[in-house]
Amino acid sequence: MNQSVDKNDIYGWSLRFLQWFCPPHLREEIEGDLIQKFERDVKQFGEKHAKRRLLWNVIRFFRPGILLRNNSTINLTPFYMLTNYFKVAVRFMFRHKTFSAINILGLTMGFTGALLLFIWIAQELSFEQFHTDKDRLYLGWNRSLENGQLVCSETTPRVLAPTLKEDYASIEAAASYAKWGVSHLFTVGDTRLLKTSGVFADASLLNILSFTFLKGDPQKAFADPSSIIITEKFAKQLFGEKEAFGEAVTLSQEDYKFEFTVSGVLKDLPPNTDFKFEYLISFAFLESLGEKDTFWGNNSVTTLVKLKEGYDLTSVNESIKDTEKRHYADGQHIEIFLYPLTKMRLYSRFENGVAVGGRIEVIRMLGILGVCLLAIASINFINLSTARAQRRSKEVAVRKVTGAFRATLIVQFLCEAILMAASAGVISLVFVYLLLPFFNTLISQQLVLDLGNSTLWLSAAAIIFGIGFLAGSYPALYISAFQPVQILKGIGVSSHRSILRNLLVVFQFGFAVTLVVSAIVIGKQITHVQNRDAGYSRNNLIYIPLTGDMPKNFEAFKNELSQSGTSVSITKVSAPITEQWSSTGGIEWQGKNPEDRTDFERIYMDDTPSATFGLQVLSGRDFDLQKFSTDSTAVILNETALRTMGFDNPIGEVIKDNGLEWHVIGVVKDFVFTSPFRKTEPIVVFSGAKLSRAFNVAYIKLNSTKAPQEHLTTLSSLVTKYNPEYPFEYHFADLDYQRKFENIQTTLLITTIFTSVAIFIACLGLLGLATHTAEARVKEIGIRKVMGGSALSITRLLSYASIKPILIAVIIFTPLAWVSINWWLQSFAYRVSLDIWVFVMAALSILVIALITIGTQTIRAANANPVDSLRNE
Amino acid sequence: MAKEFLGEFEELVLTLVAVLQEDAYGAAIAEEIETRMKRDVNLSAVHVTLYRLEDKGFLKSGLGGGTAERGGRRKRIYTITNAGLAMLKAIKESRLSLWKLVPQLKIS
Repeated sequence: MNQSVDKNDIYGWSLRFLQWFCPPHLREEIEGDLIQKFERDVKQFGEKHAKRRLLWNVIRFFRPGILLRNNSTINLTPFYMLTNYFKVAVRFMFRHKTFSAINILGLTMGFTGALLLFIWIAQELSFEQFHTDKDRLYLGWNRSLENGQLVCSETTPRVLAPTLKEDYASIEAAASYAKWGVSHLFTVGDTRLLKTSGVFADASLLNILSFTFLKGDPQKAFADPSSIIITEKFAKQLFGEKEAFGEAVTLSQEDYKFEFTVSGVLKDLPPNTDFKFEYLISFAFLESLGEKDTFWGNNSVTTLVKLKEGYDLTSVNESIKDTEKRHYADGQHIEIFLYPLTKMRLYSRFENGVAVGGRIEVIRMLGILGVCLLAIASINFINLSTARAQRRSKEVAVRKVTGAFRATLIVQFLCEAILMAASAGVISLVFVYLLLPFFNTLISQQLVLDLGNSTLWLSAAAIIFGIGFLAGSYPALYISAFQPVQILKGIGVSSHRSILRNLLVVFQFGFAVTLVVSAIVIGKQITHVQNRDAGYSRNNLIYIPLTGDMPKNFEAFKNELSQSGTSVSITKVSAPITEQWSSTGGIEWQGKNPEDRTDFERIYMDDTPSATFGLQVLSGRDFDLQKFSTDSTAVILNETALRTMGFDNPIGEVIKDNGLEWHVIGVVKDFVFTSPFRKTEPIVVFSGAKLSRAFNVAYIKLNSTKAPQEHLTTLSSLVTKYNPEYPFEYHFADLDYQRKFENIQTTLLITTIFTSVAIFIACLGLLGLATHTAEARVKEIGIRKVMGGSALSITRLLSYASIKPILIAVIIFTPLAWVSINWWLQSFAYRVSLDIWVFVMAALSILVIALITIGTQTIRAANANPVDSLRNE
Repeated sequence: MAKEFLGEFEELVLTLVAVLQEDAYGAAIAEEIETRMKRDVNLSAVHVTLYRLEDKGFLKSGLGGGTAERGGRRKRIYTITNAGLAMLKAIKESRLSLWKLVPQLKIS
């Protein structure tokens, strides 16, 4: 065979590969052996086969025994130099302890903050990603036309899931899922637990979502209607260490008692799912009791859908959109569509029928916050390193003179940067590990630091080394460019790279200003809403759930309670006033515009609601069923509802809801329903006396002569007397109201923490720069003093240079802060108006902090004795 | 000097170098193993083993002539050193002395 090596030939290619990795002194003999082997293989197996064997043989030579074989061409000098670089870097770090401490502390704080945020973001992004076939899972949504607006909602009729499955070939499985928060009392032997964390679901749900079964078979778990699936944790609570699977459990709801068998035990649900429950009950069970809900007008469940493989969402949506119209004469304005399950967590806010984002906006903000923290920390690093460059100038010059290339110097300074970043990184990893539990309580999330997860380590390493590299490259380029001749002649280097340095400071403090503005505005928004007149009095107001025998014994309970002097007034209500229970766009009244579908909040109450809640009656009167039997069909409106209906004389007007007629007997002042962050909704308070099961809770206005806590004993004994089966449960209305602030208070806390971190890092940098300026200008200061400059004028001079970029930052970034915080405020219906003082305050506080930081250094420098600085020359 | 031990494959390669004399080089040894011992052998393993044995002082090597079959590349011819021979002998003797201790087995 001739030796012409065809470039595209596997033969030539193999040999070139060998040449690439094989040490030269071994190459010839190995090549020879390979060729010899190849020639023989050609004879034995044919050329094609032989080439493949050759390639395989070559690949097998790619092994340490060959690669590292006495490879005298590996030049060890760089390694020796590397050790030297690290040695010098460590020495330099120890000699300039303040400088290194500032640098590493800043980086550590930046890394810690950013890593915490990134772990959070990663968790948010992982929601519902663990389901097998997650790309084929969808939620059914309603899109209805109301008052010219498309309103989307994921609450759908119970009958939707079976209908979709029945009607369309594209749908592999569909299931209803309903979390109604019904209280169930579980009894196993002596253990009794009251739970509201259950979910009703179709059997097919277990084929759609992937939850891990510890015991039981997802295919068969719901074969029997009276089976229940529970989580591991709940199983422990109920059965202790005993095996739960196959055991019987009694479940009571109001007057009813049912026997269930545990047909499955689930591994505790992962934190990254929005399907949260402790037990699953089959819809088949509910329906075996005789109530099969096939009414399309009742939107009460979530519908989960799994498409068959190969179906495209757009075409499926096109085909299913008229499902409701076809089955429901009154639902002509409603379309059905599917929305990906994996997008539910972050992208499920709809405006006028179009998905416009959602929680992802918060996540993006967190991401920006994290990146900015990293940026601030790296800026510190860059600024301090370049500012300190002259200190290294002699070293650089000597290295250059003794033969260092610029590239090797760059490598040296990069090594130093990476060493700094790595030490900061290691410290911050420890911090993250220690801080995570606190952070979790702060943000009420269950973030986990999975130390066995290689992605975590890789990304942490990538961030740390990436930042080390990025932040180190500018100083490395800058320092390595020094001219040795000038330095050794004593001219020195000018540190006039201050434009870039100042720009970086502008950015740092701009970010700090933005954060301060946000923190102030969030705080103001909280006080603003706290001060909002709720319209009802929450003092001494308590409510208890109407469970078990309580509805039956309520009258007796009520009488005894008021006789004991505990209560002033008691009212049964359909749901806690801080929770939405029911709303309707279908209320009709005289003179209503037929196009009007304004949503009214619907609440059912019985006797004396105004007295119990302290509502201000503007006209008419309270419900009084004892005196007026007609009050069982009465309603009370709030002001907004009255305005919407437009009655001139509301008392006696008749409105229609759900086919029933109601007459208005009173109007009350607007009050806060559900959350104080919402705008005032039109509310209709119906008298629920004639409806069975309208009431779920009873509000009790306690006698104010004694502290509420003292009434609790009486209350507790009475509740247990009339409802012996259930544990005593009560809620304070003011605590429930206060709970509405939890979210925003978390936001405030996070913002405050990260604001402080950002300001702290920025000030560290500023401190470093100020120290440097004071040191660099020490001779100038000395001369000025000798020539008669006062300490004050010198302080002013030094401070002015440092404070200028901060002033610029304030001017540039306050408008930006205004835009971003205004965007955030838009998410609240009831919000504080922004005024200029917020920005002035933020700017001033930043300036003051900066001045104090700089001042510590400049004043010391200005007061120093000029003799000390001028003595040696 | 700490006593050197040889692995099974090392011993095999060393023996073959002794057997093949002037013709002991990588590809030839690999082929010998394949034909005589009927076992599949990885050419790179043979090379690495040869280098290792040379490091240990049991072999020495020099470049020999090239042939057309090898595309003109020269061979590295290995020869066994006295240390290598002594090692082989020692191995053989220790095996024999152990073998004598094995109770006579009847192969039925």
